[in-house]
Amino acid sequence: MSPFWIVLLSVSAGTVLSSVLACLPGLHVYNVMGAMVLGILALEETAFAIPSDVFLPAMTGMIVGWAMLNTIPAVLLGTPDESAMFTVLPGQKYLMAGRGFEGTMITAVGGLAGAFFLVCVVAPCAPRYLPVSQQVLKGHMHWVLWIIITFMLMSEWPKGGNRGVAGWAKFYDAWKTLLAGLATFFLAGMLGFILLTRSPVSHEVAFQNIMPAFVGLFAIPWCLLNMISAADVPKQKPAKSLAINGDVILRSVWSGGLGGGIAAYFPIVTGGVGGMLAGHATAQRDERIFIMGQGVSKFIYYVGAFMLLFVPGLNLTRGGGAWMIKALYTPAGKTDYYMILGSIAVASAISYLMMEPLTRVVLRFIDRYNYRHVSTVALAIIIVMVVAVTGWTGLFIALVGTGIGLLPVLFGSRRLNCLGILLLPIACNMSGFGEVITGWLGLT
Amino acid sequence: MKGFSHFMSGVAVASFGPWAIEAARNGNPLFFILGGACGILPDTIDFKFYRFFYKHDVYVEPDPQAPDPQYVADEVARTIALAVDEKRYIRLKLSSIRLGADFWQQYAVTFDNDKLEVAVKFGPVVNTGQVPVEGTENRYPTVARAKIKAKVIQTYDAALKVDIFDGPTIGFNPLPNGDLDLEFLPWHREWSHSLTVGAILGVLVGAVAWLASGWAMAWQCFVTIAACYGVHVVEDQLGHMGSNIFYPITKLRTPGLHWMHSGDGLPNFLTVWISCLLIFWNLYRGQPNMTYHFTFLHLMMVGLVVPGLAFGALRWLLNRGQRVEVAAGDDADDEWNESKAAG
Repeated sequence: MSPFWIVLLSVSAGTVLSSVLACLPGLHVYNVMGAMVLGILALEETAFAIPSDVFLPAMTGMIVGWAMLNTIPAVLLGTPDESAMFTVLPGQKYLMAGRGFEGTMITAVGGLAGAFFLVCVVAPCAPRYLPVSQQVLKGHMHWVLWIIITFMLMSEWPKGGNRGVAGWAKFYDAWKTLLAGLATFFLAGMLGFILLTRSPVSHEVAFQNIMPAFVGLFAIPWCLLNMISAADVPKQKPAKSLAINGDVILRSVWSGGLGGGIAAYFPIVTGGVGGMLAGHATAQRDERIFIMGQGVSKFIYYVGAFMLLFVPGLNLTRGGGAWMIKALYTPAGKTDYYMILGSIAVASAISYLMMEPLTRVVLRFIDRYNYRHVSTVALAIIIVMVVAVTGWTGLFIALVGTGIGLLPVLFGSRRLNCLGILLLPIACNMSGFGEVITGWLGLT
Repeated sequence: MKGFSHFMSGVAVASFGPWAIEAARNGNPLFFILGGACGILPDTIDFKFYRFFYKHDVYVEPDPQAPDPQYVADEVARTIALAVDEKRYIRLKLSSIRLGADFWQQYAVTFDNDKLEVAVKFGPVVNTGQVPVEGTENRYPTVARAKIKAKVIQTYDAALKVDIFDGPTIGFNPLPNGDLDLEFLPWHREWSHSLTVGAILGVLVGAVAWLASGWAMAWQCFVTIAACYGVHVVEDQLGHMGSNIFYPITKLRTPGLHWMHSGDGLPNFLTVWISCLLIFWNLYRGQPNMTYHFTFLHLMMVGLVVPGLAFGALRWLLNRGQRVEVAAGDDADDEWNESKAAG
């Protein structure tokens, strides 16, 4: 078979697989890719060794499919991964208005626009300009993390203190949510120090050691919240039109491209942070632009970070997918770069086409069953996934994460503070005093 | 401007200090954190601290068990009468009506100067995402009205809509002709939005830094804080609402230049983007042993002008023959909504 067909079939298979897997709540594509990497490594130097022409496009397709379709569980089931958390609230607005289909499809259009932006605009410029920016920003990544933390903590506004006369009582009532937010950030940060320094998860599943904590922090609290308080989801209406035009797409690309680009380029800045920046950077009053911008941001965060590994002359590894590939393969110049770009384009088209039927399947499921029961099933799937991948220790970590992740739910503070799990320990490490803190905690 | 735009402007201003770059290269992020934090600090002071201590003359707090639009209309009319009779500035607080963990009764207050009436209409129950709950739209079909003693002049389009979280404050200021000037969020951009407060804050932090690390750290902290705080005040001056620039020397807000509304997309994005480019340029200047070299003009062409022209051309192509409707903004209302929607 010619290399063209091998690449095409591999990317198609990877995309279809991850598109279906993306509909399962709680499972992250990096969990599946981690298992695949271990398999590929085991087969190396045997008669069944898998060539790079097969696994590179397949994994590209998996990341693209995931980046596009993980909107479905986030919007329709309320079980987002960290990168999709900003789509949940506006997405559920659409769901509760009987427009869940429209909400997911608008995000998908954002993903497709993100793919276009990445392949047609960013990719041709990247080999020329990114090495320059890398040289300039080298040595400055740590303070970028610190200012993101500062903005995250300072930009949360109080939600209480709504009634009563002016004074300290009112102030305290208002600040309860902010204090809960700060507590969430620092508790998640402490958990992060423990997991990154002395992970209790077995080294055999080393690619997954942070996964149960993320599931506990982000997905399980949403499920619990839905189970306790979810109203009945109204009958979903199919949309004849998404009421979007070129201008809406263009403005979404501009906001999502900035947020997703920052998240993809800077280490440890995740898709959730990218989504927050995308929302804040451009002050869009149109909700469609916000949702679509989140689609763009999410896509650029996952796929753009992966693409950076292949940019000739850059040698930059960002995101879990790129790190896994690096364990298997060292990119070799323009040939690989073009193959990856082609794979992204093909996978984007396939995953976009899969969005509509898979959304309809999940909506039919929601229509048929009580939403509380749907959330219960989603929670059960999540728990099974965590135990299957990381064992009972992983489930314990997920429970600890859930305890922290419930703080924002109970106090109405910002869920993004849970990202302290990565931001705080890594920022401390990059500024050179991480070891002091792990020493205080008795971890080193 | 939006909080993020102010924040990034602060970081950009901080990056002009060679000491900030030098410290950052040695692993110390202090000056950049100070820059960003002081960039957003004036709004933080207002929205997170000051408003909870701001005294009101009248608090309108409808009973969530039996929300009554007529009570709201009567209380607003009474407040206006108070301002007219006592010929003094009166502050009114319209409180939100929380019906449950996630449900709020929406209501709107409008002034009809022709009939000298205030009208209060209770709208639907909304959830915290401001989505109306089905079937609640016509629960209160009647519009409550009450006679007011003077015309209420609104100089901008802030809609007095109350729904989630906190309700707004309104100030009624008697004018010489007997009308009342309506001021939305009078506690906002008062003393906190002044260059003098930024300088005083810089002196205070500088004094602490002097005690801790000596003179060099002290003046570097002072310059960073005063400049980054000041850039917020200057940026807000580009909008409509303005700032109280030299408090306590000036007592009132100086009206803005009316170049933009604080919630407008393009100015906010441009501010963020240009800040990023300036930071990049300053880091480049402070980076030794660069193998790539470029000029400021080159950076602006590649980073701003060419992409801007491409974006503009594309937008023109996409919108040819169509009417693009952009929601009208208002400084105070935009910032108030941002504070509630920030999450």
